[in-house]
Amino acid sequence: MLFNIVYQFGDALAFLLLSAIGLAVIFGMMKIINLAHGEFITVGAYGTVVSGKVFNLPLPIAMAAGVIITIIFGLILEKLIIRYLYGRPLDSVVATWGISLIVSQSFLVIFGPSYEGLQTPLGNFKLGDYSYAEYRIFLILFAFLLLGLLYILFMKTSFGTLARATIEKPEIASSMGVNISNVYSTTFAIGAGLAGITGALYAPTMTIVPSIGQAFIVSAFITVVTAGASPFIGLIPAASFLSTVQTSVTFFYKATIGIIALLFSVILIIRFLPKGFSGLITKQK
Amino acid sequence: MIKIIKKNKLPFITFVILSIFPFFIDSYYLNNISYFMCWTFISLGLALIWGMGGVLSFGQTAFFGLAGYSFAVISINFIGVFGVGIWSVILALLITTLFGLIVGYFLFYGGIYDVFIGIVTLAITLVLETYLQQTAGPEYAIGEARLNGFNGMQGMPTIGIQDLQYGLIEGVTQYYFILILAIITLIFLYRFKNSKLGLIFLASKEDRNRVASLGHNVQKVQLIAFVIASLLAGISGILYTNWGGYITPSSMGLVAAALPVVWVAASGKKDFFSVFIGTIFLVWLSQTLAINGAQFAIIVMGLILVISTRFFPDGIILMFKNKLIEKIKWLQS
Repeated sequence: MLFNIVYQFGDALAFLLLSAIGLAVIFGMMKIINLAHGEFITVGAYGTVVSGKVFNLPLPIAMAAGVIITIIFGLILEKLIIRYLYGRPLDSVVATWGISLIVSQSFLVIFGPSYEGLQTPLGNFKLGDYSYAEYRIFLILFAFLLLGLLYILFMKTSFGTLARATIEKPEIASSMGVNISNVYSTTFAIGAGLAGITGALYAPTMTIVPSIGQAFIVSAFITVVTAGASPFIGLIPAASFLSTVQTSVTFFYKATIGIIALLFSVILIIRFLPKGFSGLITKQK
Repeated sequence: MIKIIKKNKLPFITFVILSIFPFFIDSYYLNNISYFMCWTFISLGLALIWGMGGVLSFGQTAFFGLAGYSFAVISINFIGVFGVGIWSVILALLITTLFGLIVGYFLFYGGIYDVFIGIVTLAITLVLETYLQQTAGPEYAIGEARLNGFNGMQGMPTIGIQDLQYGLIEGVTQYYFILILAIITLIFLYRFKNSKLGLIFLASKEDRNRVASLGHNVQKVQLIAFVIASLLAGISGILYTNWGGYITPSSMGLVAAALPVVWVAASGKKDFFSVFIGTIFLVWLSQTLAINGAQFAIIVMGLILVISTRFFPDGIILMFKNKLIEKIKWLQS
């Protein structure tokens, strides 16, 4: 029974973390309100499933293909549209909303209302009366691993320093000889790639429909916002808190009330903790 | 009055043309235009708080839905009672403004700003949607009115006075009612923009701390504007409910919440008249594309949005308006 609750909690936590991870870069760092974040995930999921089915690839290679397709997709979008929106966060709402319409509808036209999915890899194991999917456990661990890598990339490497400097003060970074246009597109591609990873990871667990990204977008935004100004530090406490609220309320009432409690706690966090969870941590240091 | 017309020749001509429409087109198209105009109020409200004050809110949809549902619940409960078609509207709008006041107080006096306002208002919208979606059972009823979950509510009486010729807001009466309401709203918004409150609000977009340090109560002004915007969204919600005779939870979903933002931004958020025309145009466009182009409609819509923000950052309708006024000397004041 206790393990069951922990499992549910971990599952919700992994979902929040993985849906938010790409957006933490694109929205959390670059300040682009990317309403097409869900569609990046869709591209990753379709890339995985289609390449897996058509070329009969083993799952890990199909997933890699899905991620690479999403990165290329992100790079093209950045070159064509997104680079004109830096420093215009509110206009990015409209453009990315347009992108999201185009992408999800194109997938509907090309692949039809639903696409035959892949089988969930790894097996199940039994504990007490319930059986659990090993893949779900893998997702939780992978989410933490990914966040760790991301933290190292943006906080410890020289690229990370350049990226943070460029986003903070583009003019000064540029005058110090940083190729800011390259830094921007690389950072954006990383964000897109992470969303692609999310899509690839969840592709074998869900029915593949063109609107698959819609399932992620709200969770992604609320997690990144409650994480606060330094998303990589705040993401884990924010997602832990939110999934605790959601699983416990769902456990005692029902799923819809769980979602309502989740949204309410977001409102309260923003009101009483305006700098998010990362503000709480950095203040204590 | 003549001075106002001289200064705004283009809006004046537009409204004259709109007001003679009923003599030339049949009732099907007229009803359609009424439908397009229903949506202008929610957009104008957003243009007020976002275009003027820089407050991006996804909550307009929440007020839209709340007003629609309140109108439905009240009017169904008191169906047949004298004047229900009028006072139920007033009551529903009161509820909406009160809710707007509470939300606005929470936001502006709680020190929530910028993108956080967007997230909080989006959360409020989604809470309402999620709650109403699960109200399918018979236990979810307010008085006589069942909320009906996903399917939404219907069977509410029409706005207006029964037993009176042209008393009910439907058909041609509905068209003129909405048109006149839109004209009043536009005049009010232009006056607000040039009033002292409006100027403070406009300045608060650039630097709210500086405005506050000059001795103006920024929060109060923001709250007033937010409440006006919620009232306008409520008007849209009631007109929409009245037009179609139904209201559903999906009118408060994620898609519905983004639509006003898209309309306002694509039209030109700094100019109320452009937003009015742009909303009508874009609602018409998405409807026409949906009827004729089927699956490609949404792709075309997306392309328009992307291209308009990429190449016309101030809004596509505003750009056309400025071009037109530039070309035709007579339109200049």
